[in-house]
Amino acid sequence: MIEMVNVSKSYNRGRIQAVDNLTLIVPAGEIFGFLGPNGAGKTTAIKMIVGLLRPDTGRVIVEGFDVGRDALRAKQIMTYVPDYPAIYERLTGLEYLNFIGDVYGVAKEARLQRMNKWLEAFELSDVLTNPIQSYSHGMKQKIALTAALLPSPRVMVLDEPLSGLDPRAAFQLKDLFREHCDQGKTLLFSTHIIEVAEKLCDRIGIIHKGRLIARGSIEDLKALRSPERSLESLFLELTDK
Amino acid sequence: MRKTGILFRAGLKSNFGLALMCHRWFKEKKDRWILPIIAASIAGVLPILSGLVILIQRTYDVLQPMNQERVLLAWGVLAGQIAILIFGIYYVVSAFYFSRDLEMLIPLPVHPYEVMLSKFSVILANEYLTIAALVLPFLITFGVLSGGGTGYWINAVLVYAALPVIPLALVSALVVAMMRLVNFTRRKDFFIFVGSISLVALAFAIQFLPQVAGNENTTVADVAQFLSSRDSLLEKVGAFFPPCIWAAKAIAGGFSEEGLKNLALFLGTSVFFFLVLILAAERLFYKGAVGLSEAAVQNKPLSRRELSRRLSSGRRAFSAIFIREWRIMVRTPIFFLNGILIVILLPLFFIPMVQVASSPFGSSLRRAAAQEGSLIIILLVALFMVICSALNGASSSAFSREGAQFWISKAIPVAPRRQAAAKFLHSCLLGIVGIFAAAIVADYVLRLKATVLCTSAGLALAACAMMTAVGMIIDLARPLLDWTNPQKAIKQNLNVLLALCTDIGILTAIFFGVRALLRAEAAPAVVIGALYGVLIGLFALSYAALLRFAEKRYPEIEN
Repeated sequence: MIEMVNVSKSYNRGRIQAVDNLTLIVPAGEIFGFLGPNGAGKTTAIKMIVGLLRPDTGRVIVEGFDVGRDALRAKQIMTYVPDYPAIYERLTGLEYLNFIGDVYGVAKEARLQRMNKWLEAFELSDVLTNPIQSYSHGMKQKIALTAALLPSPRVMVLDEPLSGLDPRAAFQLKDLFREHCDQGKTLLFSTHIIEVAEKLCDRIGIIHKGRLIARGSIEDLKALRSPERSLESLFLELTDK
Repeated sequence: MRKTGILFRAGLKSNFGLALMCHRWFKEKKDRWILPIIAASIAGVLPILSGLVILIQRTYDVLQPMNQERVLLAWGVLAGQIAILIFGIYYVVSAFYFSRDLEMLIPLPVHPYEVMLSKFSVILANEYLTIAALVLPFLITFGVLSGGGTGYWINAVLVYAALPVIPLALVSALVVAMMRLVNFTRRKDFFIFVGSISLVALAFAIQFLPQVAGNENTTVADVAQFLSSRDSLLEKVGAFFPPCIWAAKAIAGGFSEEGLKNLALFLGTSVFFFLVLILAAERLFYKGAVGLSEAAVQNKPLSRRELSRRLSSGRRAFSAIFIREWRIMVRTPIFFLNGILIVILLPLFFIPMVQVASSPFGSSLRRAAAQEGSLIIILLVALFMVICSALNGASSSAFSREGAQFWISKAIPVAPRRQAAAKFLHSCLLGIVGIFAAAIVADYVLRLKATVLCTSAGLALAACAMMTAVGMIIDLARPLLDWTNPQKAIKQNLNVLLALCTDIGILTAIFFGVRALLRAEAAPAVVIGALYGVLIGLFALSYAALLRFAEKRYPEIEN
């Protein structure tokens, strides 16, 4: 479960309010999607969940652990994939996965089993011993996803996870999301693609200018105006203020 | 040329982070505390510079009666040019071929030579700053001592302006040609390693060959005759690189016929090399640069058994971080040069320097070293080891080197103090490599007793550990994480300079402490014991401060 309580974050000495008093609960077993235009505050909110940014006010709690006060325990059960996969380019894919396995304390057998599964699914087995530097953007995204899956975390947080992925990998990732949450685990991701949010999420939160302006299931959101209208027109209407 | 100017300005802003610096200082009003620190750091280097100036002054006083003083100018010029030649290859290769802006620049409607000239100019601007501390003390001290007139100073400015052109153009033309003719693009790191090691070998040859040539059956009469003719020493030093003779004669000669003739020769040669570079750039630059994003890899599927064999069987997080640090440093050429190669090479550069004065100087050093329990020798050897181990940017760029990947260190479930400890061990080991290399050279030159060597190494180790922790604290206070070219993380990182100045400050304070003890006629054992106590105490304090600071600072760093 992820819990954000009155979380705010500003930049430039308060002149830019990136996230404004955000309160949100994502229960275990749910896929939650942050939907919003560019610069809405999705990435800032996500970075505060995983502890990369400190909120100015409010608290973030992951599976009962306060990310600010009990950071190590929260990090032990959570993994994150950034929007741009900035990972160690001078290491090989295998070395990077070994590094992640070591720091999360993943046992060798579990490591082997999970790596075989995901490397095959993402078609990375052939390039595993090559330096990450030589990977395409999509391949880097896939190795970052494999690394995030390796510890089998209770909470996964992903920022624009489908960007750069080929259709096959995107399809597999959607299956993976479902499988992950069917095991009672939590998944939160951001996107600005409405179809992705519509197809994947149990619930969606529309974020605009740092504020969560709507949240609920697709049906709930559509019911806000009229059930016949598309999520896209609702989104455009809500974010056009 | 207008386009070159636009590219140059953009490159300069990006290279020195001018736009970002202005934004931080004047718009965000952040990091302003760095200004007084920079001023204090520059002030901290002044004692070293004044030491160099005094050395030049004394040498001038010795050489001037023999009409050999102009060799000083050649030494200054040569030192600057050799430094550019050796380190230039890294800067040229990374700026010309491996900087990330190239993919944006190639599609622009500009000539290849304009792109390359703008990059060349940015490196040139960098080099003026880099060699200033090496060359300017020679030019200024000589000018003051010889009473140089207007001609001297104008020629000195012109020579200084043109000084980096020949070695940089030489390296650039060589690199451009090699990148075009040989398919090194797929082995770029290998190319940088081989290229730099070849240039280092060349630098050694330049230092060794004159001695070899001069050592055959030399008699006292020969030496007397040699020194009786004006500038014989200058001619000998510059025999392997005549432009430094022209530069020295141009500056010293001022507006005289000799001065102007040599100035024309020096500037003309610089212009010639520059034109060759432009020609090579227009014809070859883009041909070598296109396709660089391709990497030299072969896809090799791993069998399940092979994968199982190569999987780590669960290292501790500390070891995993230590190994990561090591791998990234060894595999990134600019980190390798500034972190590892420099600590090995620096002591080696002292071998020929000492042999230059082999007969009187070397033997007197050995005699002093042979004295039982020579305190001064122990301290000097320890200082030499400290300089060799501390002159690498590993500790003061330990966090900056992570760059955009720092998010991983923040996201993983490993306490910042453990991460800092693993990085400390890595940086400290590099320092120990430097101490070891310095010990070998010191023993080779001075034939030291084992006790002297061990005592010096112990002192150097304590100082190195303390300096490593201090360097890391400085880098952690203001890590440079938004670089796109790894060169910026270590070579152009202000933290490296700040750490160096702090180290100099600490060593100066220790020097005064030791001098006070010596004046109080303390026994050698007391001096050494006190030094050990102070250094170990400082290390313990700085290491504890580093670990505490890491816990505080990691959550604050936002990248």
